[in-house]
Amino acid sequence: MKISPLDGKPAANLLFVLPSMIVYVVFVFGPIFAAAGLSFTEWNGLSRPVFVGLSNYTALLSDASFLLALKNNAILLIFYCLVPLAIGMVLASAVSTVGSHERLAIRTLLFLPYIMPSAVIGIVWRWLYNPVFGPINQGLKQIGLGALAIPWLGDLTWALPAVGFVVVWYYFGFCMVIFLTGLQRLDPSIYEASRIDGAGPIYTFRRITFPLLLPEVRIVLLLTIIASIKSFDLIFTMTRGGPSNTTLVPNIYMYEMGFQLSRYGYAAAVAIFGAIIIFAVNYAVHKFIKPKDGV
Amino acid sequence: MPTSATRATKAAGFRIVMWGFALFAIVPFALLILTSLKSQPDLMRGAFALPSRLHFENFVSAWVDGHFSTYFRNSVLVVVPVVIGGVVLGTMSGFAFAFLSFPLKKMTFVMLTLGMMVPTEAYIIPLYYEMLHLGLINTYAALILPQIAMSVPFATLFMASAMQQLPVDILEAARIDGASRGRILTKVILPLMGPSISSLSLFLFIWTWNEFLIPLILVNDDSLRTLPLGMLFFQGRNTINIPVLTAGAVVVILPVIIAFLFFQRKFIDGLTAGASK
Repeated sequence: MKISPLDGKPAANLLFVLPSMIVYVVFVFGPIFAAAGLSFTEWNGLSRPVFVGLSNYTALLSDASFLLALKNNAILLIFYCLVPLAIGMVLASAVSTVGSHERLAIRTLLFLPYIMPSAVIGIVWRWLYNPVFGPINQGLKQIGLGALAIPWLGDLTWALPAVGFVVVWYYFGFCMVIFLTGLQRLDPSIYEASRIDGAGPIYTFRRITFPLLLPEVRIVLLLTIIASIKSFDLIFTMTRGGPSNTTLVPNIYMYEMGFQLSRYGYAAAVAIFGAIIIFAVNYAVHKFIKPKDGV
Repeated sequence: MPTSATRATKAAGFRIVMWGFALFAIVPFALLILTSLKSQPDLMRGAFALPSRLHFENFVSAWVDGHFSTYFRNSVLVVVPVVIGGVVLGTMSGFAFAFLSFPLKKMTFVMLTLGMMVPTEAYIIPLYYEMLHLGLINTYAALILPQIAMSVPFATLFMASAMQQLPVDILEAARIDGASRGRILTKVILPLMGPSISSLSLFLFIWTWNEFLIPLILVNDDSLRTLPLGMLFFQGRNTINIPVLTAGAVVVILPVIIAFLFFQRKFIDGLTAGASK
């Protein structure tokens, strides 16, 4: 690193970093370490924590509810990741062909869900899904599909896909915008050349657009997979993990174990498990999806 | 070779799909606003029926009886110090990361990126007990301090990368003039940082306004709840009066929508560029 003209004595320099770092360590970094430590203990929040080694983690691996939560999260990955990625990419190819005003309008509208408070979005969709006065079922009845008007969030089979539908709604526009930015980075002459060579749209997409968009694919994968592991607000306000755990995810389980059942050590193990998965995903995506050089 | 006619129909097809998805993205908001202006009898006539007249009294009802005035005030009282604190701390430590050498700089950087990856859910339990020991549960400090701390990593890295774009000769000239670093930061660098600071403030505003877990766990007094929490508890108290519930939801999301529409270019470019790093 080259020396900056502003550099001074380390002691004086520290004055600029210390305030931030103190606040950060006290309220974020310290608690992260404490959570890791807590995950090796049994603690009810009142008596002293008892060190139990790895037994919380081994218990997790044979805890049917936790395994169900992991399975639900794996299914939700389809809705967090694959569907928004696919819709986003196809839409971006379509949107990139229209004029700049229309493009801007579409971009603005599609991005809107992503910046909304997910807790409030959960409450709103809970109302949209309401079996009696929810607009979704009323709409289905009006177009003669009354047979489909089931209590979505209360149905053992459909609650998870219904939550997944909201997740798709929340993320597809964000994915589209990222791909759109990626497409605008590409050189239009590539498309011109492939058109002259007589390549069809599917061939062009598969052999040109998709490979050149790999950097954006990587970002979208990373962000949406991590978002799925982090998921809490939306599910907490829509179903709280119900009915009978069909929409349970690890963070909801952490909340139940910790703040409802006062099994804080165990809850911390659930939370740390999630953080470890996030690191693993980060590593895997960086390692295995490598955009070609020069892109 | 496709003829121009088939190409035109294809383009029209693309357009319909595209606008169809755009509609899908905003229909929930449209329904929300429509319902917030209905009376209960209007609602009985169907979710898509138009109201006979606009019932703004739902908003009054949410604001007064639904305590949304309190929740709104709390949200503002939390967001303002978090944004100011995040920007001030981020500017200082960003300056240090961009221009200064200090012990353990690399490790500090790793520590900050770690904190950006770990979700709040992972450390909320120790944070809760820390707040309990400090006697801060059910205070504004419990909402403000952790959220300032959570802003530090992003704010620091964001400001550092913005400051690194500055031309070095300006800084050199200022240094040769003998100005202290504090003075250079406030008098030379800050005036050039306007766009970055406004982007950063915007992001911190949205994230803090939308935050759910921190107020859910660290506060249980209704008079301290912020809007997303107030919304949840209002729904718990009141599941029947849908127009007032939707009016409440509009109160929560309207500031976000307004900020977004005003600064949408800044927003989208910033969030997608930030994501690409």
